[in-house]
Amino acid sequence: MADKSFFIDTTKCTACRGCQIACKQWNMNPATKTTQRGSHQNPEDLSFVTYKLVRFSEFEENGKPVWYFFADQCRHCLTPPCKIVAELHSVSAISQDATTGAVLYDPKVKVGEKDFKAIREACPWDIPRWDDKTQGMAKCTMCVDRVKEGLLPACVKTCPTGAMNFGDRDAMLAMAKGRLEQVKEKHPKADLLNHEYVRTIFLVVDEPRKYHTFAVAKPETVIAALHESNVLVGS
Amino acid sequence: MSGVTRRDFLKMSAVAAAGFTLSHLGFDLTPIRAYAAELRRDLRIKDAKETPTICCYCSVGCGILVATDAKGKVINAEGDPDHPISEGALCAKGASSYQIAVNENRLTKVRYRAPYSDTWKEVSWDWALDKIARNIKKSRDKSFTEKNADGKVVNRTNGIASVGSAAMDNEECWLYQKMLRALGLVYIEHQARI
Repeated sequence: MADKSFFIDTTKCTACRGCQIACKQWNMNPATKTTQRGSHQNPEDLSFVTYKLVRFSEFEENGKPVWYFFADQCRHCLTPPCKIVAELHSVSAISQDATTGAVLYDPKVKVGEKDFKAIREACPWDIPRWDDKTQGMAKCTMCVDRVKEGLLPACVKTCPTGAMNFGDRDAMLAMAKGRLEQVKEKHPKADLLNHEYVRTIFLVVDEPRKYHTFAVAKPETVIAALHESNVLVGS
Repeated sequence: MSGVTRRDFLKMSAVAAAGFTLSHLGFDLTPIRAYAAELRRDLRIKDAKETPTICCYCSVGCGILVATDAKGKVINAEGDPDHPISEGALCAKGASSYQIAVNENRLTKVRYRAPYSDTWKEVSWDWALDKIARNIKKSRDKSFTEKNADGKVVNRTNGIASVGSAAMDNEECWLYQKMLRALGLVYIEHQARI
């Protein structure tokens, strides 16, 4: 089995939230009680029981309404900063699957609040979540139990529009780059977010921060430095 | 450092510290530690029985595969990749169809709230069906119109309306429509059009 990646084409997303629900149901996570906040985004944020969230960004630009959807999830970094910081804090909850590259949290391992905060802070995309009752950490698992049996992750399987894609990293990078070329003709600002460092590659057509505060890691040097530090450590 | 936020800066520091400390201690981060729980776990639908069905919600009619365990309990429901219409895809409602069978919030007993009451009480199916039948008879007798103002035979019941249901299948809809027309209803509506 080869190194895997997601390609999330936000231009095809209709925010039906099928991915969000398929994720909940496959992982058997309970619903989250929410309140009306004046947005279609629901629930408000990722959590210990919400690994996948379609973020809604609604605003006005030059007198025209703009509505962006961003199906947020773990990026499954090539070199995960959360794992490095966890090991610095002697937290053994995080591992990385050698074949798929999935970054995995063991929710049964107890993590102190301070250690968790350091781990969450280390993630440039603000993904790790923690449960104050069980003291465990949880996030997207890449549905690695499905993937190793040849099935697609639940979110990708259910996507009706082709916004969510999953496969071998080479194929996904090729798909992402091909689609970017197409989209650029109409949207010159289109870009792939941190695709060199992550296994969840987002295609956006506008400035990433208009989609979500943590859509892109900036400056890129942060992850580049991390990449180098790991090369250094590994040598 | 222009344009670098506090958060980014903290991240840079953490990264720098990580590189420094680990390399000086001679830690090797490259080998994989123990496999996480997900990797040890078998696919939970591996030995399940798969039954193809059609989504009960909208008229697109997507295909669903329902997985049941040895005791016949529903353990998963997801898109049917062999279905010609949906090819494995499901929207948020279809993707949640597992909960039609398994949900602790699902009502399992008939509940009744009397007019002007603010509380629900549990009643039996027999009681509820009898009550519904009596109410239908009462309203129909009261509002049945045999002839309109022009003296034409219309045989209609203006006192009852029907709204719903999107969760009915084709055959149920046929039976339901037949029953409503037999009663003389003309106000027959579906929530998808409201």
